[in-house]
Formats: sequence, structure tokens, C-alpha cells
Amino acid sequence: MMGSEAQAGISDRNVWIITGIAILILLLSLPLAVLFGVRFTYTLQTVTLGGALLGAVSGTVGSFAVLRKQSLLGDALSHAALPGVGIAFLVAGRQLWALLAGAAIAGLIGVWFINLVTRNTRIKQDTAMGIVLTGWFALGIGILAFIQQRPDASQAGLDSFIFGQAAAMVRSDLYTLAGVGAALILVIALAWKEFKLITFDPDFAAANGFPIRFITGLLLALLVMTVVLGLQLAGVVLMVGLLIAPGVAARQWTNKLGQMVVLAGVIGAASGGAGAVASALDRDLPTGPLIIVFAALFVLISIFFAPGRGMLWVWNLRRRNRTEHAADNVLKFVIEYGRSHNDPNKPVSSEFLEGVLGSSARRGIRELLLSGRLSADEDGYRLTPGETRDLPEGG
Amino acid sequence: MHAIERILVWLSLQVASLEQINAFFGSAQNTAIVLGALIALSGGMLGSFLLLRGMALTSDAISHTVLLGIVVAFMIMGAVGAIPDISSPWLLIGAAAAGVSTVVLTELLNSSGLLKQDAALGLVFPLLFALAVIFISRYVEDVHIDEDAVMVGEIGIAWANTNSHAFGDYETLVIDQNDPQAEISRRCVNCREEGISPRDPGAVFEELCTNCGEYSPAEAYRAGFSDEPPVLVFWPRSITVMLVLFLLTLGFVLLFFKELKLSTFDPGLARSLGFRPTLLLYVLMSLVSLVAVGAFEAVGSILVIGFFIIPAATAYLVTDHLGVMILLSGIIGSLSSAWGYQLARGRFLGLNLDRLVPGGWDTSISASIVVMMTMIFLATLMASPRYGLISGILRRYRRRREFNDQVILGHIYHHSGQEDQRSELEAGSLRVHVQWEQPVLDRVIQRIRSRGLVEIDEEGCFCLTEEGRKEVESFWQSGLARKAPPPRKRGQIRVSTRD
Repeated sequence: MMGSEAQAGISDRNVWIITGIAILILLLSLPLAVLFGVRFTYTLQTVTLGGALLGAVSGTVGSFAVLRKQSLLGDALSHAALPGVGIAFLVAGRQLWALLAGAAIAGLIGVWFINLVTRNTRIKQDTAMGIVLTGWFALGIGILAFIQQRPDASQAGLDSFIFGQAAAMVRSDLYTLAGVGAALILVIALAWKEFKLITFDPDFAAANGFPIRFITGLLLALLVMTVVLGLQLAGVVLMVGLLIAPGVAARQWTNKLGQMVVLAGVIGAASGGAGAVASALDRDLPTGPLIIVFAALFVLISIFFAPGRGMLWVWNLRRRNRTEHAADNVLKFVIEYGRSHNDPNKPVSSEFLEGVLGSSARRGIRELLLSGRLSADEDGYRLTPGETRDLPEGG
Repeated sequence: MHAIERILVWLSLQVASLEQINAFFGSAQNTAIVLGALIALSGGMLGSFLLLRGMALTSDAISHTVLLGIVVAFMIMGAVGAIPDISSPWLLIGAAAAGVSTVVLTELLNSSGLLKQDAALGLVFPLLFALAVIFISRYVEDVHIDEDAVMVGEIGIAWANTNSHAFGDYETLVIDQNDPQAEISRRCVNCREEGISPRDPGAVFEELCTNCGEYSPAEAYRAGFSDEPPVLVFWPRSITVMLVLFLLTLGFVLLFFKELKLSTFDPGLARSLGFRPTLLLYVLMSLVSLVAVGAFEAVGSILVIGFFIIPAATAYLVTDHLGVMILLSGIIGSLSSAWGYQLARGRFLGLNLDRLVPGGWDTSISASIVVMMTMIFLATLMASPRYGLISGILRRYRRRREFNDQVILGHIYHHSGQEDQRSELEAGSLRVHVQWEQPVLDRVIQRIRSRGLVEIDEEGCFCLTEEGRKEVESFWQSGLARKAPPPRKRGQIRVSTRD
């Protein structure tokens, strides 16, 4: 409805604007935090870097989920990962790679099941996701209950599943985050063409012989890995927001996939970093939720102010259109009035104009008076000489 | 709440004796199963509508955002000096408001046209949840969010949290100043101010009753006013909450069944007929929020989603009728609740799972209930007569078989009596014409011959029997022929398919 006319304002310049805003927010947060007495301790450095890294990775990967209308898949997957985490813990102990692998496998089984159900029955995707979300999660909880009984249950890291526990991050977690994140982004870069194709036109991709099941599976695996990476820092629910928000924000500024993905990464990093710094303002402020608040702020800024798509832009465009058409309508009415009375110079009263055309008539009259196409006297409004004859027939 | 609970207890006393009720709810198992069944019944009713409206994951969002409503209500109550109480109606109102605002915000974002429905939901609920967590950790000092409770709830110990009610001869005991059991003490009113001793003749005394007031029978017994221990009904609190919510939901669904049905399947028509589908939706969402809050203590905020979605989805695989679907989802939920409890205690299908695990089988009850629901869903997914996987596979297999038969029968029908009959229909040459693999063709031929549709004549050619001819003609008449009349021009029928 606001489609093509509104898109006109989208240009590459937009990308630089929002990148600037993002970097500004991130950079400003540092001196501001110092001003408010935050000390950049070792822990805070770690958490800030971790937040920024996680934001960058999840923004990049999440962009594809947003575009493929699978925003809530991250939610289902992050819950469905729990049994995998539990089983991996039982088998291999608290090894991050094992937990990641277990989560990925459980998540992929969940996705396979969602596809199985939606393809073969009339159950829709959201319901199938809900079933996997709770069913797998319940299974995971059951497994965790066994783990808790074990004497060797050093199960720290498992119970912070819901809310995340950013403060528990250590340097080595950071290296893992950076390493796995870089690998994920590398995969996206390598499979760029394929991902782009299945995002926008999966049928075309299939028709051209691309292995779409494999590519889709790969993309989902990336999503699962990202979710699991973020669980420790942000927790399950907030991870969903961190996957979606940067992508949605970035989408408003550009129509190009490449720009959007990079932008989402930048916005994610800015939210992650700024949120982590802001959470250091007070002992009671949790990190994960603040990161989400910052990400949501970016979304708000974007859906209001993005040139071309943003709401302010569209409102402004509509207002301008209304004004222009108000003048046109008045002009047309005055001409028609003159024609029907066989007197092109017959004056029309303002009450009459407003009665017929509504309140926008006044604006139209004002504009026409200003541009000198309409003249006013005590009888009402009439066309200025010269206007009458220039106008085309009918309308 | 207390008055409602009293009515409930009174009602149940009409059908069972006091000892029976106490014995029933005195068992953790019974309380947990009844509570689970109540949640499942309410959830199934609401979940059926959510599912049919394509809003299944809204229950996920709401079960998280009600936290914000509760926290805000908590903060407001703290600010005005009211004592924050978890069963206060304000908390429930806050929760319902949060649930409705989740939906409103999502719709608002959605209507901007800038992002898709799923993304809007995925933005709103993490944000509201994040705000709730921030508020909790910042402003609500004493509330410790127990992560275990958020994840799995405490359905197993619901029986221990009871209110006691006394009925029958036990009335409230009122002790006033004239009562012989009243303890009266005297206090000097003006001693301190005037600096005189209580013995001073100018001292003015006031009589105070230290133990006056109303006593419930239990309190009266404890305070020693009555010698007999009162006979009390111990009633689990969470049962009351869920029972009220269940009755509320049931009443709403029964009263507005027609409207709900119409606005679920055809909101446009509902609106044009003068119903208020939006208002109805908000009431529905308020109920979802209330049930989510009521169930929070018992099953946690995530597993409750299962109570909404899984039984309804299972019923959806079996029936096409809304009423049956709701009823069935309630039955499935209640059964899961009972079997899930058994599963958590290590008994499953008559097996004893205790020996499988070194420390003994002991796991979360609420999680086991949801696992049970999932298993019932899986079983239904496999075996549902109409929409199940197995019946689907069988149907496809049968259709493929029928199609193959018809191809061969059609081929024979075409060429019977034509001049190329000999070359086309000779038993050995059929494979050249249809170009199928030999084993597939053999199976098809064997099948149609055993059905008596085709026989081999003395020249070694296939020919249709009378039944075979009828079969082909009725197949064409039944639809295929109407769309594409049998081509009269000669040529090979090339259909490649696998049996």
C-alpha cells in the first residue's frame, strides 16, 4: 500500500546513516559509562566484547531468518536444543563443543520434525513449532533432572539456560565465541549465492538444481549454533529477540541483502556492546535484557526514521500528497462550477467549497491564493484571468 | 478467593465425606493429577481456538509477557502501600493486561507493514520479557526468581499448600470482654504523662482484652478455647485457582461458542454480521493470560505452552468438528496428566523404569506430563485414521496401485479391436509400450489378472474381460474422462512410474 512511492527514499546513503548511528551509540556509551562511574574491569571488558560479538553473529545469521519468515524458529530451536545439551553433558561432560553439537543435533531433529508434520498433515507451521518447542524442552528438563541427581553434577551453565548469566563469562568463552562466530560468518560468505537464492526464490533454486534441502539445513544449523552460543549470555527468550531485532532494524534502511546482513551485524554488535556497558551502571541491572532493550531501540529508531520506509517518511509523503491534491480538487471544482453555469468567472463561496470538499478545501484555497491561481473578493473565489483558458477539458 | 474456595469446599462436601476429601487431596498424586487435568482442560479449550486462528505461538509469547504484568502490578501495589499478595486480583488484572497488550502491540507493528507477523511477535515478547526481568532485578527486592520454578513449576508439592476450612457444627468463636474466657488486663492511661505510679489514686485505668476477637475453629483449638480438635477440610490453594479459571473459561466458551466459532473461521463475516471479533479476541487473550498465570506456579512458564498447544493439535489430527476437538483435547490432556505423573514416578505402560537409572527414576512431573502429551501426539500422528502418516502412506500406495492398473487397463482398452491390436497387446511386448521396469509391470499384470479384469486370449494377447471393460469405463466416467477425454489417436502411452 505504501510500496513503490515510499521506496523512493531508499538509497545507499541510508546504510551510512544507520551505521553512523550504531557506531555513535556504541562509542558514546563508553565515555558516558565512565562519567557515571563505571569501571571497566576485566569482567566488564569480557562481557562487553562478548555481547558485541554475539550481537554481530546473531544479527548476521538472524537476517536470513527474518527474511525467510522464520523469526520464531529461533525460539523453537533454542528450547528444543535442551535435550541435546543434556545428553551431550551426560556423554562428554561440560565440553562446549559437545554441548554445541548436541544442541545442534537436537535442534535439527526438531526442524526435521516440524517439516514432517507440516508437510504431511494439516497442522500449520506455528503449531508444529509450538509442539517441538515444548515437547523437546520437556524431554530436556527430564534429562536435566537426572543430571542433577548425579554426584558429579557440576552442572553450572545449564541452569542459566532461561535468563543467561553474562557475568559468568570468562576469556576462554570469548575465544570460543569469536572462533565459532567467525566460522559461521565464513560459511555465510562462502554460501552467499545459495543462501540468497533460497531466501528469495527457493523454487527457482530448486528448478536450477541447487540442493535446497542441504542449503536450508545448513542455514538452520547456523541458526541453531548461534542460538546455543548466545544461551549462556542472553538466555533462551532474549536470544530470540537478539536474532530478530537487528535484522528487522536493518531491513528498514536498505533493499539490498548484502547491505542488510552487514548492517544487522553492526546493529547487533552495537546493541550487544552498549547493553553490556549499560548493565554495569548498577549492580542490579541484568545484561541480557538490557541488550534486548538496546536492540529494540534500534528497531524503534528504524521503523520511525528510516528514509524511504520509515513511518515518519510515509506520513510526510501522505501529508504532502493530501496537500497537493487539496489544491487540485479546489481548482477542479471551481472550473467545473464555472462551466456548469456557463460563466467561467462565477465566484464560489468558501462555505460552499468546504461543504462539498471537506476541511481540506481550506488548505487548497490557501495554496492556490498563494500561487496566484485563485483570487478572492467579497463574493467568493474565482479563477485569476489566464488560468481559465489554460486548463484542459474535463478531468 | 477465600469465599469462592469455601463454596467449592461446601459443594464437594455434598458429594463426598470430609474424610474422603482430605484423603484425596492429602495425596500428592491426586492433587497433581487433578491440577494437571484442570490446566489441560482450560488450556485445551483456549488452545483449540488459538491453533485454528493460526496463533499457536501467541500462547508462547503471552506466557512470557504476563511476567511483566505481574511485576508492574507488584510495583504499583508496593508504591500505594498495599501488601503484595500473589493471589491478589490486581496481579491477575496486570497479567491479563500484559497478555492483551502483547497482542495489541504485535498487531500495531504488523499493521505498519514494515515487518512480518512472526517478526513482530518475536520482537514484542522478548522486549516485554526483558523489561520484566530488568524491573524484577532492579525494583523488586525480595522476589527471587527461582529458575527451576520458571522452567518446571512445582506441581508435585501443590498438595502441601492448603487452606483449611471447617464446616458443620464448627462455627466461628467470638470472644468479647464479657466472655469468661476473656483475658482482661488493665493499663494505666495517664501514668507516664503525669509521672505517677499506678498505685496513685489519681491513676486512670483502661481495661484491655488481650485475646478478644474472632477465632476460626482451628485457631480456637490452638488457643485452648475448645478441647476438641476441629475437623477440617484441607483444600489445596492451586486447585481453587485453576478450578475457577477452568469454570471461567468453560463459561466463556459455552456462552460464546457460536461467536467464537464464527470469528475463528470467518472473521470478516463475523464482523459484517455485527459481532465483535476483536473484542472476542481480546477476551480470549485475557483468558490465555490468566490461565498462564494460574498455571505458572504448577508447571512453569514454558511447559504451560504445551498444555495449550499439544492436546489441541492432537485432537486436530483426529476430528473435523470444533466441539469434538475441544472435548478430545481435554480428554487427551487429562490422560497425559495422569500418565505423566506415573511416568515421572518411573512407571510407564506397566513397566518399572526404576532399575534403568542408578539413582532411581525420579524426574520432573510437569515435564513428564508434557512428554506424555508429545508421545500421544506422536502416536496420533502415526495412526490417526484420517490425517495420520500411516494412513497417508497407505492411501498414496493404494492410489499409485490403482493408477498403474488403470494405465495398463486403459492401454488394452484402447487397442482392443484396432488393427494394431496384435503388436500392441502381445503379452511379451507390453513392456516396450509402457516402458516400465519389468518387475513393476509383472506385479501390475498379475494383480489385474487375479482381479479377473484381464485375460490372455488364444493368440497370446491381453484382452479385457467384461468386468475389465466396465472398470475402465467407470474410471473414465468418474472424473478423469470429463477433464481429458481419452485420446482417440493412436500412439504409445508413455507413463513412467514406479510401483
